[in-house]
Amino acid sequence: MFNTDPMTSDESLDAAFSALAHPARRAILQRLAQGTATVNTLAEPFEMSLPAVSKHIRVLEKAGLIKREKDAQFRRCTLDVGPIAAIADWTETYRPIWDTRFDTMSKLLTELKDQSS
Amino acid sequence: MSDEQKWVRIEREFDAPIDMVWKMWTDPEMFRKWYGPNGMSVPTAEMDVTIGGTRKVSMLMQGADPARSMWFTGVYKEVNAPHRLVYTESMCDADGNIISPQAMGMPDSFPDITEVIVELRDMGGRTQMTMVHVGVPEGSPGAGGWTQAFDKLADLAASVAQAED
Repeated sequence: MFNTDPMTSDESLDAAFSALAHPARRAILQRLAQGTATVNTLAEPFEMSLPAVSKHIRVLEKAGLIKREKDAQFRRCTLDVGPIAAIADWTETYRPIWDTRFDTMSKLLTELKDQSS
Repeated sequence: MSDEQKWVRIEREFDAPIDMVWKMWTDPEMFRKWYGPNGMSVPTAEMDVTIGGTRKVSMLMQGADPARSMWFTGVYKEVNAPHRLVYTESMCDADGNIISPQAMGMPDSFPDITEVIVELRDMGGRTQMTMVHVGVPEGSPGAGGWTQAFDKLADLAASVAQAED
């Protein structure tokens, strides 16, 4: 169902975690789940300035959670569900981390064994 | 979310004796050398490897500006050297006070407490390791509150995926 990159790099994980940490940004994602919207539309339910909303949108965009059209006038936003789907299951976040750790452990064990022999 | 238990289970075989692999998990100096995922170092590893003993581990994200560190604490539940080790893990602050993963910027799906179970088997000089990392089941102390938020996130993902199909 999701063909997106499974969030294996720590930077992208970190960006997505940080982006999802803010209630306003989660609300923006909820709204975008109903369909593409302009920044103005997204700002409507919030008691905050347009630049403040734009800032949240930039954070979401940087985290890869939304995509924005290049059209400078409307800059419509669309939700990219890939990263959310990947981190919705915490086990899928941890599995690659453990795999990397055990690769390192394996190398370390080999080094230690070579030293002691 | 369904009732199914969520876990990560990884099996590995190492070309090293069982005592050496046990040391990887229980000697803080050794632990620090392998526990950091890509881009993370492990400045702190305090371990009282006895039943009921506490552990505290910090991970520092390299290259992040400002530097971001994460702290984890837990308790050893089973210590049967060199065969079986069970400990809990929760996010905490630098003083060891437990905080929810969400307050640390993790998504709502992350359980407050997880448990790591390590089993080692001597294969005659080689060692077979099974590691299970499991979320502490709903309803147990400290586990409340996150599934509801997770459901919302999962629904959100599902509804958008449906719309795209």
